[in-house]
Amino acid sequence: MAESTVNVSIPLVSAPKRSPLTERLRTTFLPRLLTGIVLLLVWEFVVRALAPAYVAKPSTVVMAIPRVIIDPAFLKATGATLTAVAEGLAIALVFGTIIGLLIGRSTAFDRAIRHYVNGFYAMPMIVVLPLFSLWFGYSSATRIATIIFAAIFSIIVNVADGARSVPREYIEVARSFRSNRSSMLIGIVLPSSMPYLLAGFRLAAGRALIGAVVAEFFISIGGLGYYILYNSRSYHHNEAFVGVLLLAAFGVGFELLVNWSTRHFMPWYRRDEKAS
Amino acid sequence: MTDVQQAIRRYVPFWISLLVGIALWEAAGRSTSAAFMVPFSETLRRLWQLIVAGDFFKQLADSATLFFTGFFIALVVGTPLGMLLARVRALRIGIEPYIMIIYATPLVALIPFILSMMGFGFAPKVLVVFLFAVFPVLYNTVEGARSIKPELIEVAKSFRSSEWALWREVMLPYTLPYTMTGVRQAIGRALVGMVAAEFFLSSTGLGQLIMGASQNFDTAGVFASILVIGLVGVGLMRLGLVIEHHFARWRN
Repeated sequence: MAESTVNVSIPLVSAPKRSPLTERLRTTFLPRLLTGIVLLLVWEFVVRALAPAYVAKPSTVVMAIPRVIIDPAFLKATGATLTAVAEGLAIALVFGTIIGLLIGRSTAFDRAIRHYVNGFYAMPMIVVLPLFSLWFGYSSATRIATIIFAAIFSIIVNVADGARSVPREYIEVARSFRSNRSSMLIGIVLPSSMPYLLAGFRLAAGRALIGAVVAEFFISIGGLGYYILYNSRSYHHNEAFVGVLLLAAFGVGFELLVNWSTRHFMPWYRRDEKAS
Repeated sequence: MTDVQQAIRRYVPFWISLLVGIALWEAAGRSTSAAFMVPFSETLRRLWQLIVAGDFFKQLADSATLFFTGFFIALVVGTPLGMLLARVRALRIGIEPYIMIIYATPLVALIPFILSMMGFGFAPKVLVVFLFAVFPVLYNTVEGARSIKPELIEVAKSFRSSEWALWREVMLPYTLPYTMTGVRQAIGRALVGMVAAEFFLSSTGLGQLIMGASQNFDTAGVFASILVIGLVGVGLMRLGLVIEHHFARWRN
């Protein structure tokens, strides 16, 4: 919707001869630009015609952007949420990778905890919020715990998948060179399951953002989620929507970053359907 | 190896790990304060009390109504729309990036807007579940459509296939397995949407059960409701996997 403004900056060159670039502009960017404009216009006019004045629409949201992005409260909220997400993701990544590698390479460990991992993974993550708020109180610890809980299981599940699918020959070669268990895990299994780890991380990042926002709604601590909640409650929908746009930008940014690094660092890896 | 032996090899580790988990839960619950954690036996006792008290099944039914209404609308809107995008290439190219953007956005952030515009009724909650569920269906259906080889459509065209036959014989069989992957993902997301709607919009169903328990510092009640929602989640996920595998046979 409002994100379509991204495409506006692309110059529409009309060359007499059709180079591949102009061809691409014509077949890809033009339809995207047009669709974006249509979506924004529909949104604008539907809201103007049917909704009360406070409801966010593209024209007023755009006007709110310069005001909001220099607002110290907004910057502080963004910082708080992003720090929490980064911390939670880092913790989830370290422990999730370790547990995933163990599940993938040890049958006993796999049998002992796989059902719990799958069970927690299938659980709608936000149900733990009331419990976490009892345990950790109405503090940022609850937010971090929610983020970790939201993120860790998709990393475990994907790393375990990756560790299971390490080609047998690699393991056999390592064995015949008398490599010990830990150097095999770190030197062979981990690099070989890297694409899975990244796929898991991509999912985890999305879930971590949701976890952070939901935790802030629930326990009312300062952050982007709470900023959105507070402003929409006081009928400042345009300001609140800028927060949503920023969250969308983070979501898309993570997605693009992970896709790019998979392509760039692991060109040998065919995109796996299972990981989505 | 006989069937019995196979069954033992398959299920015994599962039951052992389940029993060990319950034993650990019981031990942890007994050795900490009751406000922090309650043992498994206490959780079951509380769950039984909730069931006997009478509201439990009503709340379960409330949640199920919300879940299935939102999910059904998502399926009915998402699948045909996805296939339409599959067929009309210009439309697909135009709209794809926006679907991807919304798919990557944490949609929970929209709940406060829905609350202040639509209030506390049933409709806003259905909208939340719908929003959570529709994008996986749409995204995967479009993905499936991209997997159709253009030659297939060309061949069908050169045999003067009608538009209807083209949809029935080519579009549907090729995209449906992908749609079902979307359905599996949508089940998980719709469940999150359901709980979020019950937490942050009007409090009903299983969400109310867990919120009520938490506000009364009834830790056993919180554990009991999380257990129920967890089991519902696992059950629905299983169902989703079964559906996905059933249709995956069409893929190749």
